Amino acid sequence: MQRLRIIASVQRLLMGLLLLLPIIAAGNGPEKGPVQRDHIEVELVAEHLAVQPGSTVRVGLRMLPEQGWHTYWINPGDSGLPIELEWTAPPDSTISTVDWPYPDRLPIGHLVNFGYEGEHLLPVTVEVPSDLVPGQTFVLDLYADWLVCRVECIPGDADLRLELPIVAAAPAPDPATRELFAWADARRPEIVDWPARFSTEGGQLSVQTEATRPLPVDGWAFFPATENLVDHAGDTFITVSDGLVQLSQPLSTYFTAAPDTLPFVLVHAETGTALALEAQAGNLASTAAAIPATASPNFALVLLMALAGGVLLNLMPCVFPVLSIKALSLAAGAGHDQRRHGLAYTAGVVLSFAILAGVLLILRAGGEALGWGFQLQSPWFVGALAYLFFAMGLGLSGVYTFGTGSMGAGENLARRSGLGGSFFTGVLACVVASPCTAPFMGTALGVAIILPWPQAMGVFLVLGFGLALPMLVLSFWPGLGDRLPRPGLWMETFRQAMAFPLYLAAVWLLWVLARQTDANGLALVLAGMVALAFALWLAGRPDRGQTLATARHVGVAMSLLFALAALGSAARLEQEATDSAAAAWEPWSPARLQEVIDDPNYAVLVNMTADWCVTCLVNERVALDTDDVRTALAEHEVIYLKGDWTRRDPLITEYLARFERNGVPLYVVYPRNGGQPQVLPQVLTPGLVVQALESL
Amino acid sequence: MKSRFLQSFTLVVALGLVSPLTAAPQIGEPAPEFSVVDTRGQVHSLGDFAGQLVVLEWTNHDCPFVVKHYSAGNMQDQQRLAREEHDAVWLTVISSRAGEQGHVSPEQADELTARREANPSAVLLDESGDMGRAYDARVTPHMYIIDPEGILRYMGGIDSNPSRHSADIPEATQYVVTALEDLAAGREVAQAVTRPYGCTIKY
Repeated sequence: MQRLRIIASVQRLLMGLLLLLPIIAAGNGPEKGPVQRDHIEVELVAEHLAVQPGSTVRVGLRMLPEQGWHTYWINPGDSGLPIELEWTAPPDSTISTVDWPYPDRLPIGHLVNFGYEGEHLLPVTVEVPSDLVPGQTFVLDLYADWLVCRVECIPGDADLRLELPIVAAAPAPDPATRELFAWADARRPEIVDWPARFSTEGGQLSVQTEATRPLPVDGWAFFPATENLVDHAGDTFITVSDGLVQLSQPLSTYFTAAPDTLPFVLVHAETGTALALEAQAGNLASTAAAIPATASPNFALVLLMALAGGVLLNLMPCVFPVLSIKALSLAAGAGHDQRRHGLAYTAGVVLSFAILAGVLLILRAGGEALGWGFQLQSPWFVGALAYLFFAMGLGLSGVYTFGTGSMGAGENLARRSGLGGSFFTGVLACVVASPCTAPFMGTALGVAIILPWPQAMGVFLVLGFGLALPMLVLSFWPGLGDRLPRPGLWMETFRQAMAFPLYLAAVWLLWVLARQTDANGLALVLAGMVALAFALWLAGRPDRGQTLATARHVGVAMSLLFALAALGSAARLEQEATDSAAAAWEPWSPARLQEVIDDPNYAVLVNMTADWCVTCLVNERVALDTDDVRTALAEHEVIYLKGDWTRRDPLITEYLARFERNGVPLYVVYPRNGGQPQVLPQVLTPGLVVQALESL
Repeated sequence: MKSRFLQSFTLVVALGLVSPLTAAPQIGEPAPEFSVVDTRGQVHSLGDFAGQLVVLEWTNHDCPFVVKHYSAGNMQDQQRLAREEHDAVWLTVISSRAGEQGHVSPEQADELTARREANPSAVLLDESGDMGRAYDARVTPHMYIIDPEGILRYMGGIDSNPSRHSADIPEATQYVVTALEDLAAGREVAQAVTRPYGCTIKY
C-alpha cells in the first residue's frame, strides 16, 4: 500500500516536473504546521492539545483558499472534484469518515458548484488505542489531493503530519482551533431518519419526506450528496406543508441511472438548521396522512398510545351509543356473571380488530397503503350505517319495541342476552368505531401501517383491548357494579335519552354522505329514512284482523324496499360529485379521454388523484390550481381531465397500470398531434406544468 | 435552395420554441448546427461533414484535466484512432472567451497542436461561445460524436474516472473509443450519455 502510494507520488512528481513547478518544492515527506500550495493553505489540526489513551480526539484538515477561490463538498456540483484523503495512523487507531460540514452554493458561470470559500475544516474523529504510553507522541499523517478553483482550477496535494503528545489526564482544548471546530459543528447536519423517497420520473428529481417536527415553510436549500444526478444550476422547488416536505429539481443532462439511495442535506440558513436524510428510490407515497413515525419507534410507547387511544374511542360519538346499549343490558342483568360478560365483550372487540387488522395487512401486502376510514369511502356503507343508527334511535325512543322490530343483524345479535350478545356487542362496537378512528387515531395507525406485520397486529390488538377496557373494568370491579343503579323506571328514561346521541351520530353520517354525493343524494337518503321510520312504526302496530295484518306486512316490505332503493340511488350519485368552483377540469373517463386524444384541436392533461393522497393535494394547491396553470390551459387549449381514485375506481387502476404505476399521483400530458403521452414528475411546480402545456 | 432555407428557418423557429424544454442536445436527434472559423481562417459547418463521423472535443490547454489526457498521450491516441481507423473528422473546439483561461490566438493553438503532437482535423476558435452553448458544453474535456447522418450518438466525458491523475487512465473506460467501436459494429452506443468531468468552460 505504502509502496503503491510512493509509485503514484513519483508518477505525479514526473507530471509535476512537466507542468506544475510549485509541487516539486513541496514533495518531500509529510509536513507539520500550515503548508502553502497554489492559492490555498492547508494544515492538519486537532481539537485538543494532546491525546489520552483509550479516548477519542477530533482532528481535521484546515483549508484556507485565497480570496475568490474555493474547494468542494462530497458532491462538487456541476463541475469540480471532491477532495481525496488518505490517512496513516498508528496501529489500532480508527479514523471516521469526514463529517462533511454542509457547503455553500457557488454559482460559476452557467453552472453551480457545492463547496467552501474562506477558511474551513473537514473534521474526522480518531479513536486512540488504550495501550499508548503517556510521554510519547501520537503521529497522524494525511495525504490530501484536492482541486482548488476560482473559474479556473488548480489541483494540489500535500503530505501532512500532526504530532500530539500522549498524556494520562484529559487534555486541554486547543484555543487556536476552537473556532474552526465550532464552525464545523455549526455546519454539521443533524442526522434524521424520517422516511424519504425519491423518483426520477419525468426528467425531474422528486423527493418527499415526512418531518416529525414543525419546520419553517420557506428558505430551504437542497444539497444532494450524489454526483451527476441533478442539474445543480436548475431551480429547486421546495414545499413544506403539514410536515410533508416535497422538492423537485431538473435532472442533469448527463443523468443515466438512478441510485438505490439518495443521501441529501436540507439547510435552512436563517435558523441554522441542517438535516441529513437518506431517500430510497421508488414512487412517492400516497398514504392517507403524513406518517409521523421514525423508522424505529419505541414500540412500548406505541402500544401505550394505542391503549390510550382505544380507551378514548369509548367517548367517540359513534361508539358511545353502542356502549350505552351494553351498559343498559349490564345494568339490567345485575345478577348474572358479569365478569364473563365483560370477557366475552372484550373477546368480541379484540377479535374484530384482529380481523380488520388482518384485512388491512393483506391489502397493505397488495401494495396499497390504506387510511383506516376506508369503509367510509363507500356511500353504501355510510348510508346503511345512518339507517342503522336512526333505526336504533327510533327503537330507543319507543317508536317500536325491541325484539319484535326488524333491526340490523348486528344490533339483534348485540341485544341477545347471553354471552353471545356480549360478544357481538363487542363486534358492533368495532364496526361503528371505524369512522371515528380516522381523525383521532391517525398517529398510532400510521405507525401500524409502516410496522412489520406482527408489530402492526400487536398495535391493533392493544387498540381493541383499550376500546374494551372500560366495559371490562366495569364488569370486574364489584364496587362499580354495586354503584350501578337498580333496574326501574329510570331505565326507560335513560333508554329514551340514549336515543339522542344516536340521532346525532346519524346526522354526522348524513353529513359525510352529503359530502360524498350531493344535495340530491342527501334528500334521497333522508326520504329513505322516513320510509324506514314508517316501516318500523307500522311493524310495531298491533294486529287487528287478517286483512289488515297482510296490508301492514306489505306496507312494511314496500317501505323497506323504498328505503333500500333510495340508498342505492344516492350511492350512484357518488361519482357525479364535482367541485364546480374550480371547473378548470372535467371528470376523467376512458371514453372522454379517447375522444379528446382523437381531437386534433386539443391537447390533454390527465391528473389522477385521491382525497387521501397528500402529495396530490399539495401538487394541486401549489401548481395545478394556480392562475398561471389555468391561464395556460385556456391559452393552449388543453383539456384537463381529473380522475378521482379516492374510491379505488378499477378503470383508473387499469389506467395507472398502463404507466406501470400502482398509486397516485400520476400526471400525463398528451400532445394535440396524437403523439406519445408524456408522464410529468410526481412533484409539480407551476412553471413546470406551464412549460409542459406550452410544449403540447 | 429556397426550400432548404425555409426548412432551416422552420427548424430555427421550432428550436426557439422548444428551447426551454430541451436546453441540451439529445442523443438520437440531429446535432446542433454550427459555423465556426478554425486556426487557418477556414469556416467549418456541421453540414460540410455530411457522410462522415464527427468527433467534437472541447478543450482548454491550461485545464488540469485536459493536461491529464494530453500529457499521457491519451487524447492524441484517440484522435489518431478516430481519424485513421474510423475515418472520422476530429474537431477540437476552444470556447474560452478572450482574456479567460484557455483562450488562444490561432498561432498559439497551432503551436499547442504541434508541441503536443496532437492530430485533430481542425481546431475551431469559438470565441463567442455560440457553438459551446448550442451543444451545452460545460467542461473541458467534453466529448460528442455525430454520425454520418448528422445524428448525435454520444455526449459526455472522455473516460469513466473523474480524477486528475494520468496514472488512472489505463483503468478507466475510454467512452469515445467504446462508442466508436459500437458505431463501427453497427450497434447502438452502449453508454451514449456519461458524466463529463473537468474544468468549467470560461464562456
